[in-house]
Amino acid sequence: MENNLDRVMEEICLDPAVLGCLFADQQGLCIGSKGQASNETSGYITAIANQVAKLEPNSKMPVVTLENENQICMIQKADTITGAIYKKL
Amino acid sequence: MGCCWSLLCKDDNSSQNGEPNERTHLLVDPISNNIHIQRVSSENLLSRNSNDAPKKTDEQSALTRILQETATNVIDVAAIDSHNLQQQEYIERVKMYNIKINQVLAGNKGALANSLKSCLLEDVPQPEKILSGDLLNREDRHLMTSSLLAAVSAINDIRVDHKEDLVVPFGLGLNS
Repeated sequence: MENNLDRVMEEICLDPAVLGCLFADQQGLCIGSKGQASNETSGYITAIANQVAKLEPNSKMPVVTLENENQICMIQKADTITGAIYKKL
Repeated sequence: MGCCWSLLCKDDNSSQNGEPNERTHLLVDPISNNIHIQRVSSENLLSRNSNDAPKKTDEQSALTRILQETATNVIDVAAIDSHNLQQQEYIERVKMYNIKINQVLAGNKGALANSLKSCLLEDVPQPEKILSGDLLNREDRHLMTSSLLAAVSAINDIRVDHKEDLVVPFGLGLNS
């Protein structure tokens, strides 16, 4: 059923710099998460992606990055799915 | 440390028997005080010049009027006997105000906490430093977009594997 998604997430986490990843649906509900990505954050991630998408509605979906000293969180939306990848800096 | 809201403080002031508190004006109402002082001086002026010719009276009254008008518009800070704050009093007042602030904070704790919580983002001291930072590099962007595309296709593949009957006869065997 969700084996494909599990496999995709495993592949993403193969990269040693990747700390975790998360995918959420249109409502901000977590579809799947792996590594250091709390499924409780899926709502926030979806909300951020939706808000940013409103800035320039006619351009491609942007990649949002949230960054601190040692981590970066990339957020992007595609159709109804929002994805987030946490990486070491 | 005077009272800014002086219009509303008048009643409080009178009720305190002139004792200085946080609502006491640092400057006493200048107009009401000065009129009295200047009126005396203008009367002196009149009496001094009363021997002069009567034709000068008009001139004199005009001068007096000007003097009086000027006097009402001037605030003579030095002449006002204001209550000077000493160092010790400053400290005492600081303590007193802090206590009052804490009382108010304790009273409205819930409301204040809620208003503070709404500030999710904090002020950035040097925004230009952050705004001029490096953009997301090509590899990371590629990682993000390719992963997302793979995930979207994987998620679209999600189907319910229909293995068992959706309706299960439950406990029928016991009755028969």
